Amino acid sequence: MVANRHILGTFDESLSALRNNVLMMAGLTERSLERAMKGLFDRDDDLCANAIADDEEIDQLEMQIDKDGVAILLRFQPVASDLRRVVAAMKLSSNLERMADQGTTIARRARKLNHHPPLPEVELIRPMYEHAMSMFKDSIDAFVREDVDLGCAVVTRDEKLDELNHEASRKLIDRMAQDREQLRGYLNLIFIGRCLERVGDHATNIAEEAVYAAAAQDIRHPSLTATT
Amino acid sequence: MVNVIMATTPEQSVTERIERPAQPPVSAEPPPTLTFEAKNVSIWYGEKQAIENVSLDIASNAVTAIIGPSGCGKSTFLRALNRMHELVPKTRMDGTVLLHGEDLYSKTVDPAIVRRRVGMIFQKSNPFPTMTIGENVVVGLRLNGVRNQKFLNERLEKSLRMAALWDEVKDDLHKPGTSLSGGQQQRLCIARSLAVEPEVILMDEPCSALDPIATAKIEELIHELKAKYTIVTVTHNMQQAGRISDYTAFMYLGRLIEFGPTTKIFTNPTEKQTEDYITGRFG
Repeated sequence: MVANRHILGTFDESLSALRNNVLMMAGLTERSLERAMKGLFDRDDDLCANAIADDEEIDQLEMQIDKDGVAILLRFQPVASDLRRVVAAMKLSSNLERMADQGTTIARRARKLNHHPPLPEVELIRPMYEHAMSMFKDSIDAFVREDVDLGCAVVTRDEKLDELNHEASRKLIDRMAQDREQLRGYLNLIFIGRCLERVGDHATNIAEEAVYAAAAQDIRHPSLTATT
Repeated sequence: MVNVIMATTPEQSVTERIERPAQPPVSAEPPPTLTFEAKNVSIWYGEKQAIENVSLDIASNAVTAIIGPSGCGKSTFLRALNRMHELVPKTRMDGTVLLHGEDLYSKTVDPAIVRRRVGMIFQKSNPFPTMTIGENVVVGLRLNGVRNQKFLNERLEKSLRMAALWDEVKDDLHKPGTSLSGGQQQRLCIARSLAVEPEVILMDEPCSALDPIATAKIEELIHELKAKYTIVTVTHNMQQAGRISDYTAFMYLGRLIEFGPTTKIFTNPTEKQTEDYITGRFG
């Protein structure tokens, strides 16, 4: 939706800066996760180190977005779609920061794995990675384009990610029973799977916020909607 | 009209819920009792039409705020609720306004009685300059022939207490009303309005000439008064409308564009014109 400009130009500028910082944070988070996973698949410690280093800038952006969001609430007292966009931006930044933390955890575990002989079971994680990243990208797209249908679709895809995680975990636990030498390595892969599952959870949160920002509908916890 | 409130059901899919924008699920609450029912109200000042076909139900014991740009007809509509617009020469009106089901514009209804039942507070406080604080409060009763001093004293204290002014003026009742500060004068006018025990209080930008502290006191007072009275207020201050009102009506160019619960209007208005106005994108 293309909204008219505000009479107050500084209000538009502040909203635009907030939105740009959210998009920049989303871009850095995506890059951090991709570097961490590439570091795992390609056994590249440098990429893992880069993913870990990205986290600081993402943390700074989280604080900046919170600060700017509070300033907008204070200075302009936004209402309606403006209010929803500011609230959503602040919630997005919190989810992105936690996603990036998952990227850091993945990178740290990948580095540990890289110090041992390669495990072919690393490929069990790939479908999860691809699914989680597609959820992440679509959730950000839903926010950017204010696309309610896409946001709702992302939410429904989280179940599939949970299934993929259970499936990979089950196979890795089987492998642990068969090959106790690689127990630590399989455990690291299980933890990386759990990190990706949480990335999906955060993508779901972002998609829910995107729907709220666009349509003022709270689609979290549907079972509670009719009773609260 | 108050928007019909639709609750969502658990079996609805996510998409279905999005496609049918839901109101806060308050279906368990009974529909509000109505104080006013304005139906197809149009008012002309001479040749100029000030409001056009406005229908609006005002809930009892609630605060209804009317917002809109200057000249949109909100003050005219407010004045139509106690027939004060008739004081302007060459005024003509169509439509009906019911107060508790009774037609305010029936030929058998005395406008003076209407104005006693429906009090009004104005933008600028207007205590009678030649009267003391005490005299200002009970002037309405005196004009209605009340002479019993004990009764007048009781009503004086009661009204000043309800207007949250008693503690500040109880030792100065003999001083001129104009000796008070702007905020106190406005509360004095509210006390004067309450003294005749109206059913409704209309407020036309009651805080626009007040500082933030006096404004906060009036807002707090409005919150307390709604337990006993129906309040309709016109305001240019959107934040104030958001703070004090239960329902908000947005008017533009003499028409009612949108009316609904304040939370809904200020988080997710249905009409683009409302959204543009409250977010500052107008014009």
